[in-house]
Amino acid sequence: MSVAPSASARPGAKTLIVYDDRSVRWFMIASIFWGIVGMAAGALAASQLNFWQMNGKFLEWITFGLIQNEGLQYISFGRLRPLHTNAVIFAFVGNMMFAGIYHSTQRLCKCRTASDFLSQLHFWGWNLIIVAAAITLPAGLTRGKEYAELIWPINIAVALIWVVFAANFFWTLAKRNEPTLYVALWFYIATILTVAMLYIVNHLSIPTSLLHSYPLFGGVQDALVQWWYGHNAVAFFLTTPILGIMYYYMPKAAERPVYSYRLSVIHFWSLVFVYIWAGPHHLLNTALPTWLQLLGMLFSLMLWAPSWGGMLNGLLTLRGAWHKLRTDPVLKFFAAGVTFYGMSTFEGPLLSIRSVNAIGHYSDWIIGHVHGGTLGWNGMMAAGMFYWLAPRLWNTRLHSTKLADLHFWSAMIGILLYVGAMWVSGISQGLNLLATTDGGTTLAYPIFTETLKAIRPLMLARLVGGTLYLAGFFLLAYNIYRTARSGQPVDGTVEVAVEEHEPSSVMGPIRSFLNPPILTCGFALLFGCLWLFGGDYLRLLSIFGLILTILIAYAHFSARGLTWGRWYDQLLANALPFSVFTFAAAAIGGVVQILPTVLAYRPENVEDRIQVLYTPLELAGRDIYIREGCYNCHSQMIRTLVPDVMRYGEYSRLGESVYDHPFQWGSRRTGPDIARVGGKYSNAWHYDHTIDPRSVNVDSNMPSFPWLAEQETDIASLHAKLRVQRLVGVPYPEMTESEIAASTEQQARAIALDLRNAGKLIAPEKELVAVIAYLQKLGKSQAVGEAAAAAN
Amino acid sequence: MSPEPSGQPPHEDNLRPHTYDGIQEYDKRLPNWWLLTLYGAIAFAVAFWFVHYEASVVLPDGERVTQELNRVEAVKLAAMVDKLNDPYLWQASRNSAIVANGAATYKSVCQACHAPSLRGKAEDPKYIGANLADNAWLHGGQPTEIFKLVREGYLPRGMPPRGGQPLSDTAVLEAVAFVLSHHREGEPIVVEPPPVQ
Repeated sequence: MSVAPSASARPGAKTLIVYDDRSVRWFMIASIFWGIVGMAAGALAASQLNFWQMNGKFLEWITFGLIQNEGLQYISFGRLRPLHTNAVIFAFVGNMMFAGIYHSTQRLCKCRTASDFLSQLHFWGWNLIIVAAAITLPAGLTRGKEYAELIWPINIAVALIWVVFAANFFWTLAKRNEPTLYVALWFYIATILTVAMLYIVNHLSIPTSLLHSYPLFGGVQDALVQWWYGHNAVAFFLTTPILGIMYYYMPKAAERPVYSYRLSVIHFWSLVFVYIWAGPHHLLNTALPTWLQLLGMLFSLMLWAPSWGGMLNGLLTLRGAWHKLRTDPVLKFFAAGVTFYGMSTFEGPLLSIRSVNAIGHYSDWIIGHVHGGTLGWNGMMAAGMFYWLAPRLWNTRLHSTKLADLHFWSAMIGILLYVGAMWVSGISQGLNLLATTDGGTTLAYPIFTETLKAIRPLMLARLVGGTLYLAGFFLLAYNIYRTARSGQPVDGTVEVAVEEHEPSSVMGPIRSFLNPPILTCGFALLFGCLWLFGGDYLRLLSIFGLILTILIAYAHFSARGLTWGRWYDQLLANALPFSVFTFAAAAIGGVVQILPTVLAYRPENVEDRIQVLYTPLELAGRDIYIREGCYNCHSQMIRTLVPDVMRYGEYSRLGESVYDHPFQWGSRRTGPDIARVGGKYSNAWHYDHTIDPRSVNVDSNMPSFPWLAEQETDIASLHAKLRVQRLVGVPYPEMTESEIAASTEQQARAIALDLRNAGKLIAPEKELVAVIAYLQKLGKSQAVGEAAAAAN
Repeated sequence: MSPEPSGQPPHEDNLRPHTYDGIQEYDKRLPNWWLLTLYGAIAFAVAFWFVHYEASVVLPDGERVTQELNRVEAVKLAAMVDKLNDPYLWQASRNSAIVANGAATYKSVCQACHAPSLRGKAEDPKYIGANLADNAWLHGGQPTEIFKLVREGYLPRGMPPRGGQPLSDTAVLEAVAFVLSHHREGEPIVVEPPPVQ
């Protein structure tokens, strides 16, 4: 596309543009710092799974008895694991992504970032949020939803800072001196818009106090929204921005052209459209309605090719530059990163097949899968980008290629050890837990801890692998530090001719929307939705409509394909319609899944069974359960699998968690499922098990929770909490503060008395009593008819 | 993918006209195997949806599980021969293989409450389980009565069914045989009835 000189400026006038590389340097340094913090937290958490003493008792040893405790609440696994995940996702990859986006966007737009103030605000805002997270998560302040644990005031800050980022980015696009958008920018646009949508919807909640809130959605609705968010945090926070970064830095480092533009087009749009539908694959074989499970599985399978499109475009860009891998650490890291991306995106669809998922879900296989993506794809791409950037940002040479090579091999061996151990661990424990004998009539391994004992050596191998990876990252930090010290910070410059978009390249709304590609996509989507939700005749009609649309699209593309290409070229010069289409492609899957779920699966529509409401004391106990992060290791969802039912009791019904705000179905069974634990053990058993799990189960790796017997339950906040529960749709009756106090006191006294009869002395005010009350309620439900009768 | 001299695009390729900050793009056609994967996955998805959702050939998850569990129960019922009587259990308690299996189950499940010595509370108040080594029994001391109690539990006193683990009947039997191996047939039995709750 040719560019005409501006009419207002002198034709051919050139201006010198100085890029803002200071922000890039800061984001990069922050990313390295938080990367070390986050990975160290991960290594500590991993050690806790092997050695329960790492939950606090080890402090007693290293201080020679000065600090006496059986478990320190601030570093207990349930609180540390969210700190690890939040730190590596939002702090490490977040800052890395911002460094890459700020650096490459300026160069791809040939203009300085629109506002230095917004860049600074973005940097400080984001990193202060991370500091706030690092304080609140160990303190036990959490929303109880994975990767969405941060409390509501911080949520608002995140949303605001994201808007700052978006404003800065789109403003820069508007000011660009480059007529069209390069593929990296497409991925950045998709990232910014989609993450905003996901984050806001999954964080909708109503505060009960300054530090606590209940999510708007509960039960199955919350589960669906959570994994729509959780899965697409992986898609649009850990994948699309890094793909954009790959598209800029890979050809730069390889000094080779990108392999295929049309592959970029096809894989970008299919990836953005398909990814968002795949969330329910985190809920396979659960109480989630079948049509959603099937959509989750099938779209995950269809995601395989789009993902591999990105891998191909990355790896094949190296054609003609493979020999450079021998000498250039940057390309080494990039090639490994993209390869791990390909491996993870093959493994993901595989794990989404319902029968495979029956083994892998709740097991270490998922942990291995995730780390293949994060350590392999995100970590390696980050390292490659940092090694490429540092010499350019400080105008010098990389301090040591040898050290970078050492980092590469340390990281590579670390990942392989980690992922390999987790595969073996996950598959063997998954198979053990599902195994039956005597013609399928009894469980082969009825004792849960027997299966845990079998994977302990593998969990240790994981710790070693993770530590090796972290050690490599220290080498990176040192290498970058020495590189920076050997040079001077320098901001890149470019001389550009003053340019103006060709008038003919500006697209009006009619040309944007009324054209064959958009019309056929629109009709295909319309007929697809009618097929999903229509009545009998409408469905039949819509299937014919869908086939007809595809045939027309195919015929038109065969005959007049060039017009499609020209339209797309023109679209690339128009950031606004491009962004609108990107957002629409990413939003549609969520709308189709979430809207019907929110409308249909409400408490009043529940068939079969519905859960009995928690008493105020049980609700308080539940909030303590969430505070301690118990959901990180205990699921509350018995799947529709025979071995699950044999082990834990009847499969969980949709109505049995319908009042749970937030839902607690869990994602990993480091311990057994507890959906029906209520009434299974005595209060005294729970007392012993919570304070010292090994006193009732010698092989347990659960942390001890001695502080629950010391701290007092927060009864004062219950009035506000019950009010919010009513607001989000839980049918609690109005209760005055004194009624709540009386109810909690009565129930707590009864439990404390029962415990005293068993020789356990505890005051009824203690948190442990509330937790026991909650645990004994789990699995209590009634037939829907009874519930209605009781209400009237 | 043989190494090619850098900077020399393979001659069959056409580069896109535009350059972005020095980055060029080929426009190579999509690999056939990749297209096959894409179209294959879409075709599979449509077919799978038809079979599992539209055609209702496959049972809904809940019904499938219920059906399978019915089958399991039928097999179990058929296998239940009337061998569980007191002499049979006494005999089992003298079989070293059965007692060894029972000892292992006792160690991982029962011992936490009933103490390694079987003496439970009498050993140390920190144990919450009853004394299994003396002649006083809360719920009847005949072998079949002990077996029934272990199988069904008695929560008011803190005894969960099957010790709180999904143990098979065989495992329960072995554990009971292990306990009985500490007793003699015909020894005096004192029964204290459980308190009324």
